[in-house]
Amino acid sequence: MQFILSALRAAIPAGTPLLFGTLGEVYTERSGVLNLGIEGMMIMGSVTAFGVAHTTGNVWLAILLAALAGGLLALLHAFASITLKVNQVVSGLAITMLGLGVSGMMGKRYIGQPLDAGFTAVDIPLLSDIPIFGPLLFQFDPLVYLAILLVPLLWFVLYRTRWGLSLRSVGESPATADALGVNVVAVRYGAVFFGGLLAGVGGAYLSVVYAPAWIEGMTAGAGWIVIALTIFAMWDPLRALLGAYLFGGVRVLQYRLQPLGISPNLLAMLPFIFTILVLVASAGEAMRRRIGAPAALMQPYTREER
Amino acid sequence: MSDKKIWHVIALSLILVMLTAACAPEPVVETVIVPEEVEVEKEVAPTMKACFIYVGPIGDYGWTHAHNEGRLYVEEQFDWLETAYAESVVEADVDRFLDRFVVEEACDVVFTTSFGFMDGTLAAAQKYPDTLFFHCSGFMRAPNLGNYMADFYQVYYLNGLMAGALSQTGKIGYVGAHPIPEVVRHINAFTLGVQEVNPDATVDVRWLFSWYDPAAAREASEALIAAGVDTLAFTEDSPAVVEVGQEYTEAGTPIYTFSHYSPMGDFGPDSAVSGQLVDWGIIYEDVLMKAYLGVYDNSNLQDIDYWYLMREGGAILGARFDEPINPIFEDDLKAVTVTDAFLGEISVYDLIFTRIDQMKDPAMLFDPFSGPIYDQDGNLMIEAGQRASYGELLSIDWFVEGNIGSIPR
Repeated sequence: MQFILSALRAAIPAGTPLLFGTLGEVYTERSGVLNLGIEGMMIMGSVTAFGVAHTTGNVWLAILLAALAGGLLALLHAFASITLKVNQVVSGLAITMLGLGVSGMMGKRYIGQPLDAGFTAVDIPLLSDIPIFGPLLFQFDPLVYLAILLVPLLWFVLYRTRWGLSLRSVGESPATADALGVNVVAVRYGAVFFGGLLAGVGGAYLSVVYAPAWIEGMTAGAGWIVIALTIFAMWDPLRALLGAYLFGGVRVLQYRLQPLGISPNLLAMLPFIFTILVLVASAGEAMRRRIGAPAALMQPYTREER
Repeated sequence: MSDKKIWHVIALSLILVMLTAACAPEPVVETVIVPEEVEVEKEVAPTMKACFIYVGPIGDYGWTHAHNEGRLYVEEQFDWLETAYAESVVEADVDRFLDRFVVEEACDVVFTTSFGFMDGTLAAAQKYPDTLFFHCSGFMRAPNLGNYMADFYQVYYLNGLMAGALSQTGKIGYVGAHPIPEVVRHINAFTLGVQEVNPDATVDVRWLFSWYDPAAAREASEALIAAGVDTLAFTEDSPAVVEVGQEYTEAGTPIYTFSHYSPMGDFGPDSAVSGQLVDWGIIYEDVLMKAYLGVYDNSNLQDIDYWYLMREGGAILGARFDEPINPIFEDDLKAVTVTDAFLGEISVYDLIFTRIDQMKDPAMLFDPFSGPIYDQDGNLMIEAGQRASYGELLSIDWFVEGNIGSIPR
C-alpha cells in the first residue's frame, strides 16, 4: 500500500511536464499543424526559466517568460508551416535542433549553479488533512495543480465553446471552416502559439521544480514523448491527463520494480509500445476518424486550392 | 499526397524519432576551433593540434564537463597548442568524427573520452598510423593508441567509510549508470568502505542504463529512499541525486549524499558529505607535453596506460575542491570509532585521513581491494594478503559482500 501511494506520489510530478506539453500539442494538432519542435520549445523554456529564476529569484516571472520563449519559437514554426507552407516535419525537427543548440549556448553560465528560488508545496485545505492520502496526493507545488486545472478547462473550451468548434473545424476541414467565415490562418497561428506556451511551461517545470538545475539537454527526449502521448491521448485533453500520469508512473516504476528483476528497459519501452499500437490501429481511415485524428493534420491550407 | 500517405509519413517519422530519442538525447554537435595567433617570424615554433571527442554535452556538469575543463587547462598551459572538440557524439557515430578530425582538422593527437568509443578509436588508429590516439577508460592497444583513466575507486572507498558511519538505517543506496566494470568497481569500493565501518549495513543499487538522464536519476533516488535508504552515492553525470538529498533534508528527512565528478557541494549544502573530484588536466598536460617533445610517437604508445589515482592527483576527495569533507559532518564522523587491526581504535574521521596518506604514499601502503574479499554469495574472490590486480579491477563483474543489488547480464 505504502509502495503504491509513494509511487503515485512520484508519478504525478514526473508526468506534469509531459502533461503541459501534451495539452499544448493537442491544441496545435487539433488545428491541423503537427509540431515536432516540442523538444526544442521545452528546452528553451527550461533554460529561460532557470535563467530568470536564478537572476531575479521570481519563479512566477520565470514561468511566464519561459512560456513566452516557447511561444516565440512556436511562432517560427507557425510562420514556416502556415505562411510559407513548408513541410511541417522538417520545420519541427529543425526547431528542435535549434532549441537544443541555442539553449545550450544560453545556459553555459548556469551550469553547476544551484537555484535558491523555488515553489513551496501548497496544501489543499481539508483534503490534505485526510490521513495517508492527504499528504501523499494533495501536497504538490502550484504548477501541478495548474496543469490539473487546465485539463477540464481546455476540454470545455475545445468541445463546448465557439472557439473550440472553430479550432476543431480548422483541423478537420479548413476549406469548410473558411467558407463559414473562420480565419484559418489566425486560428492555426493561435493554436501553434498556445502549444508553444505550454511546452515552455513544461520545460520550465523541469529546470525550476523537478531538477531544479540547468543541465544541457535536460529534457532528454521529453518532447518526443509528448508527441507520442498526443496520439496516445487521441487528441483529447482528458485522456492527456491520464496518459501523462501513466507515462510518469511507468518512468517512476522502472526504478522501483528493479529489485524484483523486472527489466527497466522493458518498462521504459511500454509507453512507446502503446503509442505504436495506437498508430497501427489508426492506420485505417475509419479507425482514424474514430480515435479523432484531425483530418487535415499536416496539410497546409491555401484558399481556392483543390 | 493523399490523406493515407501523409498518415504513413507521420507514423514513420514518429517511430523514427522515438527510436532516436530512445537511443540518445538529440545530438548537438558543435566544433569550436580556437585558433592560435601565429606570428610570422623567421623561426616559427611548431604547433600541435589536440582534438577531443566527448560523449555528452560539455554542460552536463559531470564526466564531459570535467574533460572539457582539462582541455581548457592545457590550452592555457601551452601556447603551441590548438584544440578542437565535438560534444554529444553518439557512440556508434564516432568513426565519422574520427575521420573528420584526422582528415579535415589535421589533428595531431585525438582523445576519445568514452568507453563506447573504444572499437572506433582502435579502427581509426589502424587507419591513420601517423596520428596519435588516446582512449579513456578502455583497454585496446596499438602502436599509436594509448590508454588513460583517472579512477575513483579509492575515493569511493573513502566515501563508503563516511556513509557507513553516518547512515542511521544501515540501508545505503547507489544510483549506477551502466552495469560495466568501471561502475561495478566503484560500487564495490564504496561497499568495502561501508562494511569496514558498519558490517551490518547494506548497499542497494538501481541502474539507469544511461550516463546522463537527470530525471531518471531523480526517480531512481526517490525509489531508493522509498525503500528505506538514508544515504546515497552514485555514478552518473548529473547533480540530480545530490539535489534530491538536499530536498529531502530540507523537508526534515536527512539524506546523506556523495557528489560525483564535479564539485556539486553547492547543490546540497546540507546533504552532500563529500564526493569524488577529478583532474583530467594533469593527464592531458603530461600526454601533450610528451607528445610535443617527441617522447611519445606513433610507435611507442602500445604500453602507455595512465591510471591516475589519489597518489597521482587525478582523483580527489570532496564535494568542493578545497574541502575534502563538508564541515557540518565532521563532528558526526569524529564520534564514530572503528577498531582496525593495525591502527587500533580510531575515529572514522581520522581513519579517512590516515587512509588518504597511505594511498598517497609512493609505495601505496593501502588499497581498498585487499583480501580477503568475498562476493555476494560468500565465495572468496581475493585471498588474504592479496590485492586485486590492475587487470582484475578493469574487468570486475561481481559485487562484494554487503551489496544487495544485482548486475544485469
